[in-house]
Amino acid sequence: MNIFLARMRSRPETGSFLGFIMFFIIFSIFGDHFFTLGNQTSLFTLTAELGIICIGVGFLMISGEFDLSVGSVYALGGIVFMMLAPHMHSLLALLLVMMIAAAIGWFNGYITTKHLIPSFIVTLSMMLIIRGLIYMITSGRITSHKGDLFVLTFFSAKMSELPGFLSDFRPSHFWFIGLLILFHYILFNTRYGNHVFATGINKPAAVRMGLNTDWIKTKNFMICSCFAALSGIIAVSRFRMGSPNIGIGLELEVIAAAVIGGISLYGGTGAIIGILFSAFLICMIRNGLLLMGAPPYWYSAFVGVIVLISTIVNIKIQPRKTKY
Amino acid sequence: MNSNSLVSMKNISKSFGSIEALKNANFDLNKGEIVGLAGDNGAGKSTLVKILAGVFPYDSGEIFLEGNEVKLSSPKEAIQLGIESIYQDLALFEDMDLSRNIFIGREPVKNKLGGLIKNLDKETMNRETLNALKMIKINITDTSQLVHTLSGGQRQSVAVARAVYFRAKIVIMDEPTAALSVKEVQKILDLALELKAEGIGVIIITHNLHHMFSVADRITVLQNGTLAGNKKIKDTNIKEIENLIIGGHEED
Repeated sequence: MNIFLARMRSRPETGSFLGFIMFFIIFSIFGDHFFTLGNQTSLFTLTAELGIICIGVGFLMISGEFDLSVGSVYALGGIVFMMLAPHMHSLLALLLVMMIAAAIGWFNGYITTKHLIPSFIVTLSMMLIIRGLIYMITSGRITSHKGDLFVLTFFSAKMSELPGFLSDFRPSHFWFIGLLILFHYILFNTRYGNHVFATGINKPAAVRMGLNTDWIKTKNFMICSCFAALSGIIAVSRFRMGSPNIGIGLELEVIAAAVIGGISLYGGTGAIIGILFSAFLICMIRNGLLLMGAPPYWYSAFVGVIVLISTIVNIKIQPRKTKY
Repeated sequence: MNSNSLVSMKNISKSFGSIEALKNANFDLNKGEIVGLAGDNGAGKSTLVKILAGVFPYDSGEIFLEGNEVKLSSPKEAIQLGIESIYQDLALFEDMDLSRNIFIGREPVKNKLGGLIKNLDKETMNRETLNALKMIKINITDTSQLVHTLSGGQRQSVAVARAVYFRAKIVIMDEPTAALSVKEVQKILDLALELKAEGIGVIIITHNLHHMFSVADRITVLQNGTLAGNKKIKDTNIKEIENLIIGGHEED
């Protein structure tokens, strides 16, 4: 049992798991209709959209950088997809959006690594630039989807033709779980994952051991932007429209989820699987507070408190590093 | 150039902004030779070995490896050419286990999905980590230990094992004996002699001239970025080397 506890303590996702369980129980007891399949699956729809971005941001944070532009890229992804879709097959529109997102990520990475400007500044600027672009191309108006439904069905349509309880699920739930498992696996079991960790733990040493840390970080910026755009497409697939304001403030929610999930802001530590619990936790707080009859304004204060607590807990419960 | 030459660095210059760290510096190393690189702080010792390790690009000059000119433009290239370094700060990854530290950048992989995913071959990594540690006679049996749990001497051993394991031609030791106990220093010096016996060229930088004199065959002294002297151990003494380091001119 002691060995089991010691193992649990050393894992970065333990804190988010415990927080998730705690709030789940509280909301299940005190929230009306919280613990129903319909509510849980709609919660998971939001979790998937937040969590997919978190996977990319998590990789990036582990390699020692972060990205504030994901909220804007999320909106751009969704809106550009809907603008392209009437003119081509939706799958082609999806591919084009992914290429645009990859280019944005590459640019973030290039400026950050080659010009040695903190990613905070680079991606903050990118966030503002892209948001401005969105207002320009939409003239501030809501965009709606008029193309074919191929991609929409594959991402967000309710699986109502499936029998029984499965009919409440959406494909995005499975995309999220699949990507989560894949990227968790990549992080811990592949050469690339090893290099991501090495870059975040000790970049000067990684450079001297022959790793191209600039390119590793740039690739993570690209993954990050692509996942943000993908999540944006999934979100607009659900509504079939989107305002130019979608995704404002999302970058902070994403970073909050990553931190609660056990990914260090200093880089070098973290696990992807924790995002499952932390993203769910964040979506659950909004929903649970509402169902408990609390004023909706409480939400962001609540998330702030949880980020603080989880950071402290993550530092305290992990075995102290002896020396550096 | 003799056929025994391992490295020959000719007229190497390197500036950092307005500071000239190296001015037409020359350096030679032969197979199976231990060369001590001496000089005051800022004399250019570290810059010289970092150029050889591919960490710093050089502004001008030529580098020959076993008689062939090479362009060292990245650490990866230097490592692939058999130039290994044991750095002063050890260049270890604190939150990683021993096997990941030893194999960083050179991980054995099993290709999955037709090479799309390069899976770490953890079995081989663990087995070979034990072999690497055995090579330098270190008794650590748990390769899943994180580096930050090790003692200073053990950490040093991991860095040494990493350099030795991959069949280096040249091993650069940058202040390997700083912050070590007397017993641990002896181990490092013995290791330099073992590498030499295997025909590997060793460059050793240390402020402790006694350590240098106990293992080196030759001492190269740098002063203000240029070669100030090149002495065979048997033809010199500590006093003379100290004078070269301070004065930059040879005494009769």
